[in-house]
Amino acid sequence: MTSVVSVDSLCVAYRSGGREVPVVREVSLEVAPGRTLALVGESGSGKSTVAATLLGHLRHGSRVTGGRVHVDGRDVFALPARELRQLRGGTVAMVAQNAGQALTPTMRIGRQIAEAGGEMPVVDLLDQVRLPRPAELARRYPHELSGGQQQRVAIAMAIAARPKVLVLDEPTTGLDVITQRGVLDLIAALRDELGLAAVLVSHDLGVVAHLADEVCVLNAGRVVEAAATRRLFTAPQDPYTKRLLASVPRLDDPGLAVVNEAGERTVRARAAVPDGAPVAVAASDVTVDYGSARAVHGVSFAVRRGEVLALVGESGSGKSTLAWTLAGLRTPSGGTMSHEAGDLGRPAPKRPLALRRRVQLVFQNADTSLNPRRSVGDAVSRPLRFFGTATGRTDADEQARRLISDVRLDPALADRLPAQLSGGQRQRIGIARALAGEPDVLIADEITTALDVSVQAEVLRLLDDLRRERDLACLFISHDLAVVRGVADRVVVLRRGVVVEEGPTEAVFGAPGHPYTRRLMAAALEPDPDAPGLPEDTPEWVDAAGTDGIWTDLGDGHRVRHWQPVNTPVAEGVS
Amino acid sequence: MLSFTLRRLASAVGTLFLSSVLVFLAVQALPGDVATQILGKDATPDAVAALRQQLGLDRPAWERYVDWIKGALHGDFGTSLVSGKGVGGEVAQYLGNSALIAFVTVLFAVTGSLVLGVLAGLYRDRWPDHLISTVSLVGMSVPEFVVATVLVLCFSVALPWFPAVVLYGPEAGVGQLLPAVWLPALALAVVMAAYIVRMARTSVIDVMAGEFVTTARLKGLSTWRIVTRHALPSALLPTLHVIALNVAWLAGGVAVVENVFNYPGIGKLMLSSVQNRDLPVIQAIALVSAVIYVVCNLAADLGAMALNPRLRTRGRTR
Repeated sequence: MTSVVSVDSLCVAYRSGGREVPVVREVSLEVAPGRTLALVGESGSGKSTVAATLLGHLRHGSRVTGGRVHVDGRDVFALPARELRQLRGGTVAMVAQNAGQALTPTMRIGRQIAEAGGEMPVVDLLDQVRLPRPAELARRYPHELSGGQQQRVAIAMAIAARPKVLVLDEPTTGLDVITQRGVLDLIAALRDELGLAAVLVSHDLGVVAHLADEVCVLNAGRVVEAAATRRLFTAPQDPYTKRLLASVPRLDDPGLAVVNEAGERTVRARAAVPDGAPVAVAASDVTVDYGSARAVHGVSFAVRRGEVLALVGESGSGKSTLAWTLAGLRTPSGGTMSHEAGDLGRPAPKRPLALRRRVQLVFQNADTSLNPRRSVGDAVSRPLRFFGTATGRTDADEQARRLISDVRLDPALADRLPAQLSGGQRQRIGIARALAGEPDVLIADEITTALDVSVQAEVLRLLDDLRRERDLACLFISHDLAVVRGVADRVVVLRRGVVVEEGPTEAVFGAPGHPYTRRLMAAALEPDPDAPGLPEDTPEWVDAAGTDGIWTDLGDGHRVRHWQPVNTPVAEGVS
Repeated sequence: MLSFTLRRLASAVGTLFLSSVLVFLAVQALPGDVATQILGKDATPDAVAALRQQLGLDRPAWERYVDWIKGALHGDFGTSLVSGKGVGGEVAQYLGNSALIAFVTVLFAVTGSLVLGVLAGLYRDRWPDHLISTVSLVGMSVPEFVVATVLVLCFSVALPWFPAVVLYGPEAGVGQLLPAVWLPALALAVVMAAYIVRMARTSVIDVMAGEFVTTARLKGLSTWRIVTRHALPSALLPTLHVIALNVAWLAGGVAVVENVFNYPGIGKLMLSSVQNRDLPVIQAIALVSAVIYVVCNLAADLGAMALNPRLRTRGRTR
């Protein structure tokens, strides 16, 4: 079969300060009809640039410096403007990364889809992407939809004119595991239904393993390895591919994976929490409201010194709200939170200095939580002086450098501005800044979500080292179950502000008791095309916590909230 | 949507009330009152006191405020100290003449500058952008009376197309004033357009760099459709408020230019009343300016609501 997409030693460069910086170097690839090719790589690998060239699109300031892109037999960059427009949408369509921003905010969804051309009525298209009440939905504006619905609309728009090639640029990044699973299943179904060739751009190897037939691994604009998916995942040849694959945390890792240069992975056993470790923070029956909406509903937990407690759940589960409340950025509307240095129920400005110093938060986005006009050394030395840990300017600078080297960075970076550091380096500075107060409680709010897998592995390793060295009590918030599996000693699963299951990591992952936990795990994608995955045997259920108790105790602190299958009213709870 | 409109209307009324109080208080705080103005410097204290009583100036300030605002709501702003005629009618006559200039100015400035601003934004960093941006910068930096003088030199002195000054009084009709409107309107439009052009350019560039514009482009839509349907509604939002502020600014900007052309408009009336210390007229003009500001901003907010579905659909359940 001849290929519908063929890229032949493509080179792309952009101009920066009078110099041409190559972003894509001699990339060649072919995609046959009905097949899916994945472009995999870390940020800056040029994978999105290559994908966009299939539609004849280049970022402002970039240009093709060599090679050719053929789609459906036509040379994309040689097409006159009118034919290029017909190619876009008609022959190749794109589903962009962030549907929330890719849809025009001032235009109704129905019109945006209709505009994409094609014979299909809008309502049928919306129906085809499995959206409920399509006629009504077509009259909505994008902001009235959830993230998953927006992504489905973007897909409907892409398939409207029945293209031959679908380009998917990180189609599920930013979606929850369960929503992501739904969107991926939809993409796979449509691809098979319509016989589309697909080019999938992703940094998530789980997504790639799930969807792609072939994989192209890009590093710094160059293809380092191209192979059939199964071959690539089972027997990677290139050391970079090996490292990339090994860096991905797995759901069955009993601890943190450590990857060496050659890409061999060893799993480091989790540090045992000493038996008599004192409780650092205890929350009891905490409730947080946003106006009339209840975000967190009667949550209790305790974290001991040297222990990592993970809060997991989808967005809207209240996990970040809980973290922010603990850090004093929101006020709880009920319950108590205590630390030996004082009451954590009060907002941060009203907490005594000693308490504020000892409970610190690391933000999700290090790029936006650091002042872009101050050197990172400044960012770290500021809390040192504020909390009185350092006596003077020189002492603070010296201690800041020590902290920067404690997070495994070169202290010489202290004079740089945040923009001059990489994402992983910035997140380390975020951690160093939190450590400046010498806290005993560290709250890590999705700190690795925005990072590439290899960088994520390093930051997780650092966090694990620090809790050993400093005996930290760590509250780790994440939606990524595989990450949680590697670092957390205990897990609390939240759904809509309510704890549905909690217990030691091994127990919860080994035998999830609540259908919601099982559904989360079944939706998580492993970087292995042969991964069996947990069977999706989750029954429809309703909460059954009532007067006869709330919890089913499975021993060793593992407990599951009462629930019952929806169809059988008298069930005895946990199956 | 309705509640937003109502709230916005209520705040407009509140703003107007506060500004009427401020205007009244500011005039009260001026040294000397209407009685001393009428009688002049050499009047005996007895005569002044008698006139104050006759005019009701000896009553408490709040009573006089209530009287004034009651009259104002019915279009009665008192009597001019200079002409002896009703202030309301006089202000309305001059205001009408100014409105003629303002209308022409707004028409040219807003449409012209939006087109230029959008063009500059679309041709970012190419010659149309450089040309438009440079010209608008010049327009912004040169004061309006200089622009007006240059225009007179070009189009009335060198090329005698338009009259340099107006020879009619305030009671002139539209037909008589129309030939004289163009130069002042052009002078004002140049200054006003500069701000709108820059704002429109910036927001068009912002929006055109947005992901949804890229998506529209990759859908294979024509540039015209992308600009008019996808980009402009979002790009106009921030521009709308700049337009509103500039239209409101006209109320003041018109004063200088009207004096250059001797045009019988509100600006001219304002200047002469200040020179003659005609307090009732000044008070009325100040209040009218406040009304213009509030109405312009109200219009911008309601316009923004019409353009922004997020505001329009607020309160609708998901």
